[in-house]
Amino acid sequence: MPEPLVLIIDDEESMRDACAQILLKNKYRIEAAGDGASGLQKIRDLRPDAVIVDLKMPGTSGFEVLENLRLFDPQIAAIVITGYATVDSAVEAMKKGAYDFLPKPFTPEELRLILARALERRRLALEADALRREKKLLEENIITMVSHQLRSPLVAIQQYFEVILAGIAGDTAEKPKEMIRRARERLDALLNLINDWLDLARIDKGKLVGKLEPLNLRSLLEKLIEFMNPLAKEFGVSLEWAGAPGPTAEAFGDKETLEQVFSNLISNAIKYNKPQGRVGISLREDPDCLVVEIQDTGIGISQEHLPLIFDQFFQISRGESKKMKGSGLGLAIAKKIVEAHNGQIEVSSTPGTGSTFTVRLPKAPPAGATD
Amino acid sequence: MTKKPSKILVIDDDQDFVEAVTVILVSGSHEVTTASDPAEGKKKILSEKPDLVLLDIMMDSLFDGYSFCHAVKTSKEFESVRNTPIIFVSAVKEIAGSRFGFKGDEQGMAGPDDYIDKPVKPAELLARIDKLLRT
Repeated sequence: MPEPLVLIIDDEESMRDACAQILLKNKYRIEAAGDGASGLQKIRDLRPDAVIVDLKMPGTSGFEVLENLRLFDPQIAAIVITGYATVDSAVEAMKKGAYDFLPKPFTPEELRLILARALERRRLALEADALRREKKLLEENIITMVSHQLRSPLVAIQQYFEVILAGIAGDTAEKPKEMIRRARERLDALLNLINDWLDLARIDKGKLVGKLEPLNLRSLLEKLIEFMNPLAKEFGVSLEWAGAPGPTAEAFGDKETLEQVFSNLISNAIKYNKPQGRVGISLREDPDCLVVEIQDTGIGISQEHLPLIFDQFFQISRGESKKMKGSGLGLAIAKKIVEAHNGQIEVSSTPGTGSTFTVRLPKAPPAGATD
Repeated sequence: MTKKPSKILVIDDDQDFVEAVTVILVSGSHEVTTASDPAEGKKKILSEKPDLVLLDIMMDSLFDGYSFCHAVKTSKEFESVRNTPIIFVSAVKEIAGSRFGFKGDEQGMAGPDDYIDKPVKPAELLARIDKLLRT
């Protein structure tokens, strides 16, 4: 750390020199200004640690300097000197943020002592500020940190499995290889669960609202459908897009999270469908919102289960394979995201025929209507 | 087919990941040198002059990898190795950028040449490395 920089603002040259003489012996760096205006200029340009300011100067007074210096550095150490020391002016200076008040004449020892104390207070205040900032950064990134801590060991295990299964670490017999494959699948599921759970914790309405922007829902859905086609083929299900040419109005949304919502809904519609089933995706414009419907021809959801399917960890047991089983958080995440958009998500279903998920999202405000 | 052996510098604080990924790189006929933190990485990139760097983004602190990458690509100290391709690897997708895009450039940080998520698929990692080494 360089020596503290002290700025002396006084219209009397003899006073500036005297202060400088006193302080140079204590390894301070000294700057001086002959009036309030150029003093403020130097505070802005040089960012001193401490300011010694005369209250009574022609032009910009010491009080005005005090009023303004905190704009540049809230923790600056300010000491006031004056030949017209009155209780009133002292109180006034302290109110405006001076650390201490030194009536002329003063001894060199008094000046050194007061300056040393003021700088010590500044050091502690800056340290406290730094700790607060660090704590805030940690709080903001806590989910990422936790995510990293939870995932890293699992990922290291996965990495060994990948190497063993690729056969590049030496030969492995078929039976242990098969066991490692299963272990890898279970780890995959665990990693997905951790991701989903952290997503759920991460989605915060306050933060999302700041990211909302006019969004072309149609092109988002069309890209997603293209992306989901391989999965649909794998399950022998056809994806049918009924949104073109469709509405031109834009939604007011966050692309990242809405992609997550619709990819979850479409992949569910594919996975929980019948063989040779169909998934219909449509987009229409209502007076006050945009409506996306995702309709499947699956086995449907019974009336008693319908109110529960957006709950965390609710899964309908259908005896499907472990591989198809998700974390049970997908729809809870979707609901949280849609509601953070001030939208709604609903489901209707006829057992044996299929289910329809309806997402309503607000339209983008007309251009120029936002601040 | 004979491949010219290239030297890869792996910078990662997870010793198990380093061991596994070394096996992959050796299987692709690469030579491997490793560093377990950014400070060691900075020394090794200058002394070993690798053909490519595999860099874990999140080591001790959240953005260790970002600052390493930024330093190599912009600071004078690393002028001699500035053009070394860097691949980010991370166990946290949104950090690696594969899911949400590189965000460091919003803060004026120089970005990597590629990203890959942990765990890496051996064939995919080798293909990405070859692609960068060819250019």
